[in-house]
Amino acid sequence: MTAELLETDDIQGLIVRGYGSLHAAAFLLVEVIDPELARRYLQAACARVNTARVSPDGFALQLAFTAPGLERLGVPADARVTFSREFLEGMDDDVRAEALGDRGDNDPTTWQWGRSSASDIHAMVMVYAANQDKLTTHLDTELKALAGAFRVVRQQDTTTLDDHKEHFGWRDGLSMPNIEGVPADHERKKQQQSWTTPLRAGEFVLGYPNEYASYSECPTAAAADDPAGHLPLAAGGVRKDLGRNGTYLVYRQLTQDVLKLWSYLADHSREPGADPAAKAIALGAKMVGRWPNGAPLVTSPDADDRAQATENRFLYDAADGDGLRCPLGAHVRRANPRDVLALDREPADSIVMVRKHQMIRRGRPFGRPVSARMDPREILAARGQPDPEIRGLHFICLVGHINRQFEFVQRAWMQSANFAALFKDADPISAARRAAGDKNANDEFTCQAEPVRRKYKQLPQFTRLVGGAYFFLPGLAALRFIARAPASRSSAPGS
Amino acid sequence: MHRVHAGYTVLLPVAAERAAAASELLAELAAQPERLRFAQSTTTHFATITILPAQTYRGEPLPATLLFATSFCGPARVHVRELVALMAEPLRAVFGCCEGFPERCSNDELEAFLVARRSGDAFYSGMQNLSPLDVERHHELREAIEGFLDERQAEGSLPETASGVRRAIQSFVRSRPELAWVQESFAPPAGTWLALHWRTLIAGAIAVPVLAALVACSVARIFVHDAMLGDVVEGGWIAVGLLVAFGLGLVLAIRDAERDQTYVAERQPDALVRELAATQNRPVVNEFTIVGPIKEEGTLRPLGLRMLLWLVARLAEGIPGLRAPIEIPTVATARWIAADRGRRLVFISNYTNSAEGYVRDFIDVTAGAKNINLSFGFGRGYPKTRWIVDAGAITDPNAFSYVVAANQRPTAFWYGPYRNLSIDNIRVNRQIREGVLAKLDDDDARKWLLLL
Repeated sequence: MTAELLETDDIQGLIVRGYGSLHAAAFLLVEVIDPELARRYLQAACARVNTARVSPDGFALQLAFTAPGLERLGVPADARVTFSREFLEGMDDDVRAEALGDRGDNDPTTWQWGRSSASDIHAMVMVYAANQDKLTTHLDTELKALAGAFRVVRQQDTTTLDDHKEHFGWRDGLSMPNIEGVPADHERKKQQQSWTTPLRAGEFVLGYPNEYASYSECPTAAAADDPAGHLPLAAGGVRKDLGRNGTYLVYRQLTQDVLKLWSYLADHSREPGADPAAKAIALGAKMVGRWPNGAPLVTSPDADDRAQATENRFLYDAADGDGLRCPLGAHVRRANPRDVLALDREPADSIVMVRKHQMIRRGRPFGRPVSARMDPREILAARGQPDPEIRGLHFICLVGHINRQFEFVQRAWMQSANFAALFKDADPISAARRAAGDKNANDEFTCQAEPVRRKYKQLPQFTRLVGGAYFFLPGLAALRFIARAPASRSSAPGS
Repeated sequence: MHRVHAGYTVLLPVAAERAAAASELLAELAAQPERLRFAQSTTTHFATITILPAQTYRGEPLPATLLFATSFCGPARVHVRELVALMAEPLRAVFGCCEGFPERCSNDELEAFLVARRSGDAFYSGMQNLSPLDVERHHELREAIEGFLDERQAEGSLPETASGVRRAIQSFVRSRPELAWVQESFAPPAGTWLALHWRTLIAGAIAVPVLAALVACSVARIFVHDAMLGDVVEGGWIAVGLLVAFGLGLVLAIRDAERDQTYVAERQPDALVRELAATQNRPVVNEFTIVGPIKEEGTLRPLGLRMLLWLVARLAEGIPGLRAPIEIPTVATARWIAADRGRRLVFISNYTNSAEGYVRDFIDVTAGAKNINLSFGFGRGYPKTRWIVDAGAITDPNAFSYVVAANQRPTAFWYGPYRNLSIDNIRVNRQIREGVLAKLDDDDARKWLLLL
């Protein structure tokens, strides 16, 4: 069956490209202070928002909204209630925080931003530019345009690290799903190497068939609320399709305690080898499932083979079903178990299931690195020195179904102490810890080995969640709908 | 005594004048779970006590009903006797809210009452032949071995070969008085196979000889021209034909009803779904109760449901020589009940994960979704199925989520002792126990060590 072609001129570009050539970016988290002026800003911005159709020419602007933001902008309640429950309730909802493991140091009560009670994050203006100077220029322009309509609650600066790495020192963004339906003449980078065939577009873009050959819930609006006819008809032919060509954007800001991680690795590694630094790196590789330069342990178990830095075609079951190369609880194996989902699942069934829990990741790091060259040995050498820098990752992912994709992966795979029949192991890199003594302790890391495993205990928490929110990244038609407040919305809050 | 798992289920209408008191009592018991001394039971794995709401089916009232459901091991009578011995007073209080309960009954009368009122169910266990003590001991064994390994690795005194490590572990286990039980046999006791498959055997014992005799008579008739034999053969094949026709007719009638279905569940209020999610938010093991009337289209559906659940139960047990038991990776125990003479479908599960992830997990693979259609497709609001197993949740996963939310009920009282052990953990612990002192070849020894 031929996949339905994506309407790339109605889709914000972030869905199909990470803007890797635009090295500088900043995310403005903004509050609507004057809805009418805000809508005028959005009307003008529609022409500047980069679509999936063309590669950006040195600059890209993307716009996303929270549920309170849509309310503030006058989107009718009748339409807002059709968004997904997760989006409407927010990431910091108490039941949701419990499910996601956002407790202890990650508890929403400790967040710097994103609390629903503050109700001040209404939209995110994402600005990308070729370099920092040009970003400053574009930001100035954007801030002037926003003035009077929005208040900038936070400006989230980003950085680009050498070798596509994140702050801990590992190459990032290596396993990204390919999407069906991208037009052949579409200007974009060639598709990534992948362990599986392209996924159906509905996994990431609302309004298209997903991996169930069905459609994810898609927000709609009453036809009467769209007198200008911005929106296409929704299935059923009565309401208008507000979700089509849009997606949900999950944003979690994580700080990374780089020296704490490398101190743990250096102080505790019992991996084979004589050189202490190599032993620390080897334990880090076991925890991540890849070597710092990207080579996967499954295909390169003994050394950081740069030739395999972007290798992504491997599976686990036949090559490493027991986890002797890449441990069962390693970060990348949890985030994407490929063909080994559970003890008694057939590999083919695992693949079918895992394909239904994929995400497009578009995160960027922030803060200055410990080592400009992102060299693990330099990071190790920096231990013990004062390090006041706050650094981390703006984790951003795009999904068609927040609960089935992001929340499921976070709860059942990353945060679970019992993933892959383990007992007290959560994700060694990113999990919020529950220490020994807690009935559901998750502070161990099991490194499968022969003749018998090595266990690492009392793992500290290496990342901390300092803010987060769910956004809706609309299609261009939906953006025009949001930007045009019809008279019928006069009773809506915020108008 | 065997350790075969089964569901013990009692469904009794709640007396109208005691409905409020029944809810209050269950809330009190949930707040003071020690009053129901399940924790001291040697036969109970899980227990659910809740009240099914009053509902209707084709205008016929389905009464508010007390559901008392345990997942237990061993003979049912032993289980019930133990429950009465441990908690007779609270059981009298709970069942005292129901119609027909003999007030001021003795313990013997209470036991007889509970045995007599047991309802049929289709039961699945993902941890067959384990007692609660087994689960607890296996966990202790693994923890002890892990501690031993940690200690020896820290000392640097662990042998470097698999066989050496195995011998060290075996010596350690044999040296620990608290692990003396490991040296006892863990083979399933006599009667286990029969206790699991007796229903299938009875069905086979009736059907196979009758069919064999009919075939033999048909062959004999070719050679022997006897009028009575001819009548027997003709009558026999007519009876078989009628049974087949009845089965086909039932399927066709249900197919017809599938076409007529008008109501499919829609998105439920977010507040309701959130409230339900809050009850399923334990980090490892949760409990899940679904109750709802069946679809109203098709007068034969109640009969069809009961027949289907009988089939589901046999598939769950496995059919000797023909089919291995069903395996559901995330489920410890589950049961389906055709309540109110097949007019209402009840489902209870003790499972690993949270409800929303768990529900999706079932339908991610088409074969699994067909099983879900088979076992839940009769529920009102379930997306339209085709020939019972096709379409439904396969083609409309959103509606499947909606119908689950529409029929899920917060459970008033739940007992689940293994809250930090996933079903996979329980299976791994069992493999460790089975293999720890066994004679294994090098490859099996290597694999056994990888369980740790």
